[in-house]
Amino acid sequence: MARSTYDEQQVIKQLRDPKTVHAAFAMVIEHYSSTLYWQIRRMVIDHDDANDVLQNTFIKAWTSIEGFRGDARLSTWLYKIAANESITFINKKKTANHISIDDDDSFLVNQLESDEWFDGDEVQIKLQRAIATLPDKQRLVFNMRYYDEMKYEDISEVLGTSVGALKASYHHALKKIESFLQDND
Amino acid sequence: MKQEESEILKGIGKNPGFKVPDNYFEDFNKRMAAALPEVERRPANVVPSTWVKIRPYFYMAATVAGIWCMLTVFTNLNSTTMNQINEVAEQMGNGNNADEFIMSGTSDYDLLNYEDSVAMDAETPQLQSVTNNE
Repeated sequence: MARSTYDEQQVIKQLRDPKTVHAAFAMVIEHYSSTLYWQIRRMVIDHDDANDVLQNTFIKAWTSIEGFRGDARLSTWLYKIAANESITFINKKKTANHISIDDDDSFLVNQLESDEWFDGDEVQIKLQRAIATLPDKQRLVFNMRYYDEMKYEDISEVLGTSVGALKASYHHALKKIESFLQDND
Repeated sequence: MKQEESEILKGIGKNPGFKVPDNYFEDFNKRMAAALPEVERRPANVVPSTWVKIRPYFYMAATVAGIWCMLTVFTNLNSTTMNQINEVAEQMGNGNNADEFIMSGTSDYDLLNYEDSVAMDAETPQLQSVTNNE
């Protein structure tokens, strides 16, 4: 597939040329859609919502590609857009469901049992409930570190937070999740 | 990473249980690439001309030169005027030299005309005496 021939530096060059920008961006979509989808899906939980947010992420990246100066990696830039779009979507969904912005995201997990695109068991639902109790940014940190096994330095670039603060945030997230799982055993 | 993980999470594993429709990503990639809206792009590889590159510096230099010229003219004008005023004040203050100072600015031609006009106007006593003295 084209994925194996993806050369980021070459693609970035092509993104700067109006003649090749469309074809180059199609390669970006192909290369990053899966990674970004799972990052978004773990935040918004529902498949259809993740699909919408993924589309919004690529549209936003497409319309502001001239703003990408190339001093950060393309992946970092896209992760950042996806993270912001996910949080914006969750806040809009909270407003639509008359839930306070300050409340946690537990409401996202309520439909998980009946979701046709979820085939996990009770324990996995419980873990999702535990993760949903974390503040949005801490959820992002936990997901990137626990599921994607990203380096703290890379997470730091995406979220604009120091490595030390991220380590502390992840540590606290683990403690909260453990505590939630033990209390709801 | 391994040291960070808790025993409880190790037991659950890292599969969250989410799945996607068959061929979801292939379909998504095609749909997304086809649905990208038209965006007007500026050509990124246009090399600016030398004039465009140096224009801001030229304008800046011109502004500085203009200010410098104005300051120079103003300063010179000011000092010349003050010098002249001081000189006039000094000469006028010294009664013996006042006439000489006033006459120093008068050309020989003016003096001749002046003397002729005095000679022609003999009825004016004051001027006559001046002429006689000479």
